[in-house]
Amino acid sequence: MQPDTTMTPALEVTVLVSIGRHPVTGRARRADQDARGVELARSLADAEVSLLHAGELAEASEPALRGYLGMGFSELSLLEQPEGADVLPALAETLDAAMPQLVITGERAERGEGSGLLPYLLAERLGWPLVSGLAAVESVENGVATLLQALPRGQRRRLKVRLPAIVTVDGAAPAPRQSAYGPARRGTFETIAGPVSRDEAWAEWQVQPARKRPKRLKIVKAASARDRFKAAAAKAEGGGGQVLTDVTPEQGAEAILKLLREEEVLR
Amino acid sequence: MLDILLPILIAAALALAAIGAARRVRLWRQGRPARVDLLKGLAAMPRRYLVDLHHVVARDKVMSNTHVATAGGFVAAAVLMILVHGLGLAEGVLGWLLLLASATMFVGSLFVARRRLNPPARLSRGPWMRLPKSLMAFSLSVFVITLPSVGLLPEGLLAGAGGVILTLLLALLVTWGLAEMLVGMGWGGPMKHAFAGALHLAFHRRPERFSTRRGGEGRSTGLKALNLEDPEAPLGVEKPADFTWNQLLGFDACVQCGRCEAVCPAFAAGQPLNPKKLIQDMVVGLAGGSDAGYAGSPYPDRPVGEHHGSPHGPIVAREGKALVDAETLWSCTTCRACVEECPMMIEHVDAIVDMRRFLTLEHGQTPGKGAEVLDNLIATDNPGGFDPGARMHWAADLELPLMSQRGEADVLLWLGDGAYDMRNQRTLRALIKVLRAAGVDFAVLGDEERDGGDVARRLGDEATFQSLARRNIATLSKYRFDRIITCDPHSFHVLGNEYGELGGDYDVFHHSTFIAELYDAGRLTFRAWKGGRVTYHDPCYLGRYNGEFEAPRNVLKALGIEVAEMQRSGFRSRCCGGGGGAPITDVPGKQRIPDMRMGDVQETGADLVAVGCPQCTAMLEGVVDSDAEVRDIAELVADALVDSTPSSTPGPASTRQPLAEEVA
Repeated sequence: MQPDTTMTPALEVTVLVSIGRHPVTGRARRADQDARGVELARSLADAEVSLLHAGELAEASEPALRGYLGMGFSELSLLEQPEGADVLPALAETLDAAMPQLVITGERAERGEGSGLLPYLLAERLGWPLVSGLAAVESVENGVATLLQALPRGQRRRLKVRLPAIVTVDGAAPAPRQSAYGPARRGTFETIAGPVSRDEAWAEWQVQPARKRPKRLKIVKAASARDRFKAAAAKAEGGGGQVLTDVTPEQGAEAILKLLREEEVLR
Repeated sequence: MLDILLPILIAAALALAAIGAARRVRLWRQGRPARVDLLKGLAAMPRRYLVDLHHVVARDKVMSNTHVATAGGFVAAAVLMILVHGLGLAEGVLGWLLLLASATMFVGSLFVARRRLNPPARLSRGPWMRLPKSLMAFSLSVFVITLPSVGLLPEGLLAGAGGVILTLLLALLVTWGLAEMLVGMGWGGPMKHAFAGALHLAFHRRPERFSTRRGGEGRSTGLKALNLEDPEAPLGVEKPADFTWNQLLGFDACVQCGRCEAVCPAFAAGQPLNPKKLIQDMVVGLAGGSDAGYAGSPYPDRPVGEHHGSPHGPIVAREGKALVDAETLWSCTTCRACVEECPMMIEHVDAIVDMRRFLTLEHGQTPGKGAEVLDNLIATDNPGGFDPGARMHWAADLELPLMSQRGEADVLLWLGDGAYDMRNQRTLRALIKVLRAAGVDFAVLGDEERDGGDVARRLGDEATFQSLARRNIATLSKYRFDRIITCDPHSFHVLGNEYGELGGDYDVFHHSTFIAELYDAGRLTFRAWKGGRVTYHDPCYLGRYNGEFEAPRNVLKALGIEVAEMQRSGFRSRCCGGGGGAPITDVPGKQRIPDMRMGDVQETGADLVAVGCPQCTAMLEGVVDSDAEVRDIAELVADALVDSTPSSTPGPASTRQPLAEEVA
């Protein structure tokens, strides 16, 4: 199902896919955000898309991985990692060797640590730029991609980024296509060996169902029905924030530090 | 001169017909292999034709008699003609018989001609319009040329100048007749239906649907399972050649009478489906070409001539147009009205689901909410995506006996996914009240129950159907029960007719059947009906799929209700629009199928329509501005119950389980 690569050099895209968890039953499935990432990749013209999963092929997780193959792929690269390993070094090494121009991943895994930090750590290791919350890739020309980033309340921001880059997608990206049984069943797993680094901290952790986190209250000072509607329709976290452009790294760091102090993340 | 010409003409026609037949057979054999008992089928063919097919045709008495005269006359005339004129055996009674046969055929062809004077919209025109003339040409010319053979006319009549012209005219008519009647059989004229139809009856893919000498209704409605074990086995039908050869043969048998079109709810609603056109498109596909030659009603709003296909080309294109548009396939409600009406016993629904299977399993192109519903079925075992642990919440106060605690019961009550639907929960509560009043020893699976897989299967997702079915069968095998009762005809159908192929054989009954039985056994007593006029809507999956037309009516009768029947009821009942995943794929049309059905209800002047299916309830109740109330039979029965009867009429179950008084 790879698009033909005869004319122009194809854009090499790797989508990092993980095993998801259904919110109601907890069954393994395509992770929603990762599947959206795959859908985004499939919508790119002249792209050669490959799927990469770091983990092991277990009976419980195989249908989930085959779910990605069912979106029209003949193979999925399986970077073999035992349960509880830190996949970051292996992923970084594999991507460094394969040198795709674009890496797409979800914001946060649905099971395991799910810290949402992997794309950032990976970008740091590889020294690539990272763009989060992507809604679309508009075009790729001469090694520069024009991206559409999703902001709260349906706003979009157009960004240009030099490739290679890592981008993450969330619920704003287009919904994934249906996974078809036939290609899912036929698809194969191509296993790649990678360095295994044990995650010492993980081994000591205890996993338990998460409690619902308290929501930050919105203080609505509405004078009119229109304001009340706007307040009700707004995302809770979409209120503040500022965009800094053309600042020195020091100024940027300063601003971030200030925010972290305000939010009492740092004391 | 005719003495020399006729044997030559007959021999040439037979030879050409044989060549055409061989070519046609080769077209059918492009299909996949199918396991058919050829000899047994051929032996059974006359009975299938004379009994089962005639039974369907005879619903239209005039047409049936017309066909008996024309076809019977033709077959006799053709055989006798070969003997009399081909082999020159005119002596004795044969010639007279030939006169009689051709005269009968001629009378029949007059009726065919009358029907073609002002044909109803459902009939195809085109070549079919010339058929009565061809029939007359054949019968008349054979009659006339046989007259001298039996001595009714002097042999010398055809001599002389006038004789030559008459001879030429007769020869021309005979040639025309032979060309249409014999050569056309194999070369694709209207008479193809006789050749293909006879073989189709013999090699039908559902031999069990025909009656046998030992009687039996001969009902076969369960879909056939896909082989998912073999990774090489194709998933559904992509190209015409992916059908089995006897399916292709079946398509070719179509006479384009349009009875299917007249009863198709999707066609009436203006959705882009016409069963007759679909079958003709398959014929186009198996022979290759475009649908421009089709001369019947098109798919609503889809002009004829824009689609084309070939035996090894795709039926539905991923993008653009091929032989058939995907919306056509997804418009079907699988109500089987077309199959029930088809005088050629063609299996439209099987073909549609075969093609849907490919779209879902290979393309992943289930339209509308299809993909979401299938994902829910995979992840939560119910189409709504609800928590499987919440399946019994509706019955929190009923303390239903669970199979997991009891291990056995006389009756296993299959709840169906209606357990999540607040409307259907009222039906279920009513049914449980009835079962308890009759002292029935029953139990439910509770949270162990899963969706039966009906919707997944009709949407073409055979893999999910089989996964659900196998897990349900494994659950059911843990417990002992005599029979399954359900108020959902769709569950009834899969449990009763489709699980068997996967290793689950159960005695399944619809709740109306069971209630009728309980009433007959004297375990239920009803108050007299005081409401207004009542009509009854036959659910497709109860009636046409499972042949249960009587029990619901008997229950209503027991309640003291005289059913005001709708014009389309019983085996001709019109679909509510809720089957086959149609509400999920939701192909737009000009009007809604349930609106039309409630129109039928209104025509009877009924204040209330009794139903026996959660889908029908949902669809019919969703009709706005309707005067009639929609109630399930279980609700009507529960409302009419007179208490205290079970103790006075001790049934076998009521002694074992006293009564569920403690929860009432």
